[in-house]
Amino acid sequence: MSEISLPRIQHIAASGVVAAVGVWVTYVSFTQQPAQAFLFPRLIATVFVILALWTFIKACLGWSKVGSGLSARDCKRLVVGLIIACIYIFWMAKGLGFYTATAIAFFVLLSIYDPAPHTALKSWVKRIAITACFIAVMYGLFAKLLTVYTPREIFF
Amino acid sequence: MDFLFYFGDVFTPFNFGLLILGTVFGLIFGATPGLSPTMTVALAIPFTFKLEPAAGLILLGALYTSTVAGGAVSAILLRIPGAPANIATTLDGNAMAKKGEGAKALQLSFLASLVGGLFGVFLLITLTKPLSEWALIFGPSELFWLAILGVTIIGSLDSKSLVKGLLSGCIGMWLATIGFDDMLGAQRFVFHPALGGGINIIAALIGLFAIPQVIAMFAGGRIDSAAEVIKVQKHKVTDAVKELWNRKRAAGIGTIVGSIIGLIPGVGGQIAGLVAYDQAKKFSSEKDKFGTGHSEGVIAAEAANNAMVGPSLVPLLTLSIPGSPTAAVLLGGLLIHGIFPGPDLFINHADVAWTFINSMLIGQILMCVFGIFVAGLAAKVAQVPKHVMAAIVLALAVFGSYSVQSSMSDVYVMATLGVMMYFLERFGFSAAPLVLGLILGPIAEENFAIGSMIANASDGLAPYFLTGRLNLILIAMVIASIVYSGWMEVRSRRYTSKEEIMQ
Amino acid sequence: MKKLLAGAAIGLMGLTTAAAADGHANYPDRPVMMVVSYGAGGATDFQARIVTMTAGNEDALGMPVAILNKPGAGGRVGWNWFATQADADGYTLSAYNVPHFIAQSIKGGVEYSTSSFEPIANWGADPAVFVVAADSDMNSMADVVAFAKENPGKLTFSGAGLFVGHHIAALQIEKAAGVKMAYIPTKGGGAAAMKAVIAGDVMGGVNNLSDAFRAAAAGSVKILGVADLERSEFLPDVPTMMEQGLEVDNASVNFRGIMVPKGTPQGVIDKLAETVPAMFENARVQKRMKAGGSPMHVMNRAEVQAMWAAREATLKELLAGL
Repeated sequence: MSEISLPRIQHIAASGVVAAVGVWVTYVSFTQQPAQAFLFPRLIATVFVILALWTFIKACLGWSKVGSGLSARDCKRLVVGLIIACIYIFWMAKGLGFYTATAIAFFVLLSIYDPAPHTALKSWVKRIAITACFIAVMYGLFAKLLTVYTPREIFF
Repeated sequence: MDFLFYFGDVFTPFNFGLLILGTVFGLIFGATPGLSPTMTVALAIPFTFKLEPAAGLILLGALYTSTVAGGAVSAILLRIPGAPANIATTLDGNAMAKKGEGAKALQLSFLASLVGGLFGVFLLITLTKPLSEWALIFGPSELFWLAILGVTIIGSLDSKSLVKGLLSGCIGMWLATIGFDDMLGAQRFVFHPALGGGINIIAALIGLFAIPQVIAMFAGGRIDSAAEVIKVQKHKVTDAVKELWNRKRAAGIGTIVGSIIGLIPGVGGQIAGLVAYDQAKKFSSEKDKFGTGHSEGVIAAEAANNAMVGPSLVPLLTLSIPGSPTAAVLLGGLLIHGIFPGPDLFINHADVAWTFINSMLIGQILMCVFGIFVAGLAAKVAQVPKHVMAAIVLALAVFGSYSVQSSMSDVYVMATLGVMMYFLERFGFSAAPLVLGLILGPIAEENFAIGSMIANASDGLAPYFLTGRLNLILIAMVIASIVYSGWMEVRSRRYTSKEEIMQ
Repeated sequence: MKKLLAGAAIGLMGLTTAAAADGHANYPDRPVMMVVSYGAGGATDFQARIVTMTAGNEDALGMPVAILNKPGAGGRVGWNWFATQADADGYTLSAYNVPHFIAQSIKGGVEYSTSSFEPIANWGADPAVFVVAADSDMNSMADVVAFAKENPGKLTFSGAGLFVGHHIAALQIEKAAGVKMAYIPTKGGGAAAMKAVIAGDVMGGVNNLSDAFRAAAAGSVKILGVADLERSEFLPDVPTMMEQGLEVDNASVNFRGIMVPKGTPQGVIDKLAETVPAMFENARVQKRMKAGGSPMHVMNRAEVQAMWAAREATLKELLAGL
C-alpha cells in the first residue's frame, strides 16, 4: 500500500465511472414513470449497482488484481488515431459523404502509422495506391453490390 | 433423417461457391491476428442482406467454421492466437513449429479440427430437431432463467474476475433496455437522440468486437510489428493422419469436451480449447511433454474448438439462446431475414435450416482440405501490416453498421460502444459477457414481463418463477455456475488468459 | 479544389430549381425508399415487398421501391423516425398499420399523430381472430365469456403487444361481454403470441387471421371468432363476433397501406395517389398476395382519409378508460 501505481489509479477511475453509471441507472429506474416499464431495468440495476460499487470499493482498497492498464506510451500512440477516427465517424462521414471521408481518414491513418520513414517518396506512392484500391473495393461492395444509400457526397 | 433430403441445395453452383468463398476467406481472416471469428462474422452480416436467407447463412456458417480453424495458423506459426479459441493451440503448436515441425502441427490441427467439427455437426443434426420439439415445454419462466443462465455462465467463466464478468453481463442487459420499451412504448434511458430507436444489435456487435482491435492496433504505434514467420518444412499428410490415429485419445477427449461445452448456452470456444487441453494432459501417459511441442496438445485443443461450433448452434436454433458469442452474432443474421429460431424454424423454414446445417458439414471438409493447402498462404496474408489492417477494419465497421438500417445513429452507437469497450477491456471487463447480456437481456425481459402477467392472473409471482422442476434445475445451474467460479477464483485457478500466454 | 466545389454548388442549385419549376412532373427520377416499421419477414414487411414489386413498371412509378426496415417498440421507432427525420420530398414513403399508429398516438409518448402523415392508398386488411389450443375445452366465444364470468381476471390470452390491433380486439371483447380477462402482450409479432397459445402458456389468444389460418390448418389451434363485420373468405365456417352476440366491429382490423410525411409537395401526393392504387390492382401482385394468404383490400386516398378519421374517433372512446 506504500506506492499507488499508475494502472491502479486508472483502475480506480474506470471502476468509478462504471459505478457512477450504475448509480445513475438505478436512480433513473426507480424514479421514472411508468413504473411497469421499468420493472425489469430495476431488477438489473439493483444487481448492476451492487456489483459496480463492490468493484469500485475493491479497486480503491487495492484488493483486486489490476490488469495491465494503459501505459503513457500507449496512450500517446493511440490518442492520435482515436481523434482521427472520431472526427471521421462523428463529423466527416455525414458532412463530406462516406466515400470522401473514408478516403481521407484512411489515407491519414495509413500515413501516421506506417512504420516506413515519412521522407521516402516511395512510401507515399504506395499509400496512395492502397487507399485508391481500398476505396474502389468499398464502392464496389457497398454502392454496387449492396446498394446502400449513403449520405450525399459533397464532391460528386 | 430430414437433413439428407436437403443436401442438394448445398451443391447449387451459387451456394457452393459461397461456401468455398466463406471457407477461404474464413481461413485467411481467422489466421489474421486481431480478426476474431465473432468480429469476422459480425462484419460479414451486412453482406448477407441481399442474399436469400439460406445463402446468407451458408456464408456466415462457413466463416464461423473456418475462422475458428484458421486461427491455428497464426497460433502455430506466429505464436499469436488468431482468435481466443486458439489460445490453447499456441502452447504446443508454436513449440512444435520452433522444433521445425510447423507443417506437421498445421496438418494435425486441421485434421483434428475436421474430426471434432464433423462430430459437432452430427450432434447438431441429431439433437436439434428433437430438442426444437421439446422446446415448447420452455414457457416464459423457464426461458427467463435460461437467459439469465447464459449470462452468468459466460460472465463467470470467460472473464478474469467473477464480479467483473457478471458486471459486464449487467452492463449488456442494461444497454439492451435503452430505447422504447417494447410493451408499453415508454422511453427508457434515452439521454441522446441517437438512442431513440434503441441500440441496434448488429451495430453494437461490430463496435464491441472491431473497434477495440482497431484502437489496440493504434496503440501498437509506428513499429513494424509483423511477427516473424517460422519456415515450414514439408510433411506428408498421410503421416499426419497416422499420427492423429495414434493420438486418438487426445482427439476423442478434445471432441467430447468441445461438444459438451458448445451445448452449454453462453460458453465460448476459448474455454473449450483450454479445458480440453487440461483434460488431455491429465489423461495422457506423456504428461511431461505437454508444452514442449507435443502433438497431443495441438490435437486436443483444435478438436475441441471446432467440435464446439456445431453444438453451440443447438440452443440457438431450438431456444434462440446462443451457445457462444459468435452464435449470438449468427442470431442477429437470422433475425434480419425474419427467421426466428425455435420450433417454427423447422416447420416453416425447414429448407433454410437444413441447408444451413448441411453446409456446415460440407464446410468442415472444405475447411480441412483448403486449410492444409493454403495454410502457408494464409500465414502470409496474416502479415498484412497492422496500420493497414486498422484502417480497413475501421472503415468496414463504419460502412457495416450504417448499412444495417441506413442510419447514422447506428454508426455513432457503434463507435461509442467500441471506444468504451477498449478502455473497459484494459481493466478486466470483457466483451463476451457484455454481448451475451445485450442479446439475452431482451429475451429475459420479455419472458419476465409475460411471466409476471400470467403469474398475476394465476398463482402469483414467486410460485410461477420459483417452482416447477425445470425452473429449479435452471436456478440450480445459475447458482452452481457462480459458486463454482467463485470457488475457482478463491483458489486462484482460473483458466489461462490470452495476456498470460502472450507474455 | 475550389473550381470543383463551385461546379458542384452550381450543379446542385440547378437541380433544385429544375425540380421546383416543372411541378414534379418528372417525379420520381430516382429510386424511392419505403420505411417498414416492423422487422423483415413479418406480415407487414412481407406484404410491403409484394405490393411494391411492380413499382418499377412504366405504368406504375417507373422507379423501384427499396424497403428499409426500422423495427422496434411495436412500430413506434420507425414511425417516430418517419415523422421527425424523413425528408418530405416524396422519396421516402412509409407503410402504415391502422389501428396501431393511431392508438399509439392517442396513448401518447410518441412524436406523431394522424396529422403528421398524408395517406396515399390502402392495400390490405387483416382481421383479428380469437384462437384457443386444439385441445382446449372452449369451442365458441360463449364458452370463453362463460369461463371469464366465473373466473374474473383469470383467463389469460395472448396478443402481439399493447395498442395494436390485437389489443384493440381484446379490449372490445372485454367491453362487449362485460368481463375482465388477462391480456398478455408478447413481442416479436403474432408468431410469439401464437406459440404461447400452442404451448399452453396461455389459455387463448387474439391473432392475425392469416397466421391463425395456417396454424388451424396444421391442427394446432381452433379459431372461435372473427373480429370483423363479415365472415372471411379464408374461413367461411367461422362466425364473426357479432354473430355470437358480442358487439365487436371492425375497429381492430389491421389496415395496411402507404403514407408520406406531412409537407410533401401536393404534386407528388397527387401523382402517388393516382398511380399507387393501380399498382396494388396489378394481377401479379394480387396472385402473390393470395398465395401468401394475405387478404387484399384496396382503398384510395379519400377512402383512407375517411377510415383514419373514423378509427381515431372509435379508438379515442375505447382507450379513454385506460
